[in-house]
Amino acid sequence: MIRLNGIARTFLVGGEEVHALRDVDLEITHGEYLSIMGPSGSGKSTLLNIVGLLDRPDAGSYELDGRKVTALNDDELARVRREKIGFVFQFFHLVPRLTAVQNIELPMVLAGIDPAERRRRLDRLLAEYGLEARAGHRPDQLSGGQCQRVAIARAMSMGPTVILADEPTGNLDRHTGQEVLSVLERVHQNGGTVIIVTHDPEIGARSHRRLRMLDGAIVGDERG
Amino acid sequence: MRVADVLQFAWQVLRGSVSRTLLILLAMGIGVAAVVVVTALGEGARLYVANQFGSLGSNLIIVLPGRSETAGAMPGVLIGKTPRDMTLEDALALKRSHAIRRFAPLIVGAGDVRAGGRSRETPVLGSTADLMDIRHMEVAQGSFLPRVDPRHSQPVCVVGAKVANELFGSRSALGEWVRIGDRRFRVIGILSAQGQSLGFNTDEIVIVPLAAAQALFNTEALFRILVEAKSREQISAAQSDVEDIMRLRHEGERDVTVITQDAVLATFDRILRALTLTVASIAAISLAVAGILIMNVMLIAVTQRRREIGLLKALGATGPQIRLLFFTEAMLLALGGAAAGLAVGQLGSNVAVQMYPTIPFQAPWWALIAAPAIAMFTAVLFTLAPARRAAQLDPVQALSRR
Repeated sequence: MIRLNGIARTFLVGGEEVHALRDVDLEITHGEYLSIMGPSGSGKSTLLNIVGLLDRPDAGSYELDGRKVTALNDDELARVRREKIGFVFQFFHLVPRLTAVQNIELPMVLAGIDPAERRRRLDRLLAEYGLEARAGHRPDQLSGGQCQRVAIARAMSMGPTVILADEPTGNLDRHTGQEVLSVLERVHQNGGTVIIVTHDPEIGARSHRRLRMLDGAIVGDERG
Repeated sequence: MRVADVLQFAWQVLRGSVSRTLLILLAMGIGVAAVVVVTALGEGARLYVANQFGSLGSNLIIVLPGRSETAGAMPGVLIGKTPRDMTLEDALALKRSHAIRRFAPLIVGAGDVRAGGRSRETPVLGSTADLMDIRHMEVAQGSFLPRVDPRHSQPVCVVGAKVANELFGSRSALGEWVRIGDRRFRVIGILSAQGQSLGFNTDEIVIVPLAAAQALFNTEALFRILVEAKSREQISAAQSDVEDIMRLRHEGERDVTVITQDAVLATFDRILRALTLTVASIAAISLAVAGILIMNVMLIAVTQRRREIGLLKALGATGPQIRLLFFTEAMLLALGGAAAGLAVGQLGSNVAVQMYPTIPFQAPWWALIAAPAIAMFTAVLFTLAPARRAAQLDPVQALSRR
């Protein structure tokens, strides 16, 4: 489903080349629950951004659901992102002036889905993520855990191929982090593909496939 | 994205920062209102002048002796002026034209008018009975000059309201004798007070029969002939008739100048329109300033909302969609500002009318369309750069910064 071949990404920082990714090959199949771990600067976020089509590799090829996406232009990438990728961020990234339900609705609004269908999906998502009572609240009226649930519901609203979570518990206390993690695991149990970037070995241990990264390369790939 | 969703999104942004929105609305509103008010003043002045000309008389043609033309050598110097006087016989010859309803030959001079112990220097007009109708004069008491052969003098006069008052006070002037120069005239009529009409105050004149004026000022030469055409359509026919008749009588030389009221009016019209346009475009500069304000605010918005823009891109917003959102926001601001400005401008015009009821202040239709249109145009123009910047924002960077 996701096939990366010889992906490389170099940044220019202060006139010096930094190899964030060097020659990465990776294959992820449908329904996997995968964690990416490694120290800061090891390239895990860059990998996530490239898988999420937010960033382009300097070299290599990327195939998503059998389609070569390396050759697409920005607007085509945006459309693929809209249909196939769901993002969950460390800092939630909810739009502060919009209510929970409006935040969840945003990807569907951008996709131009008609309001009746949006309503149907919203009802289902609110129920699934236990947000019915909080639907009309703005992010500043929600707890961290609720914010992240809203973000996950938003990521799921378009029925994506893969959920990409960048330190989804990094900004939450332990208990709330566990709660959010179990929400993500439920997505996986329902057949979704979940990729989590994390520092936390405990979270890593719960996943079914663990990638270890160091200096822009994948140095470990364990399953089970 | 659906149109309704785009509008709602922009609306939520605007409602999210009320003071910012109000400030821009204010700037846009002032710009639009300025254009509306200024054009209303200009248009009001133009209509006022047109009305004033209308009160001079309708379908009026003015014949002046001499033909002014500048020729060659020395610029600005009039050469070949007044070779021949215009006489009463010239005026009477105008009866031949079918396009002319009536005419009044005119002699103007200054005279010392005395009655009893009082005396006053006033303009003295020598003319015929038709002057009253041509110039839309009204007689308050008595009658106007008698309708007789203009070649014969009669010792009668018609005085303006102010002159009558100054010479006779509260006594009735009708039937009294006044002395102008070395001649005596009986007052047979008093004009009703009309006030100033384009520099000529009918309240302060004395009108005597043409022949009397000729004797009084010892001249045969007419100052003007006022001609009234039969209708508006006949004005040009009357004008060429006048020119032909005069040429025939003056041995083939066209040595009179014929001015139509329309031509004079059209000149004023052009001048005042140009003036209105000029001032309106100065007012329109404030619209450009409002546009720059919008650009400023939008640029700040791109910086402030970079996380949001990055998020929208991560959620699958394309560059055109981001641009559309910014343009919609700017358009809503411009629309709101234009509506507010139009309302305030109309209010301003109404206040002006209340203060000066004689002048018809009303912004012309083109200003009512152009002002909002310019507001929209500047809003879109000045949002081009911010919207472009937003659309080109790198989502990874936008999202990574806290």
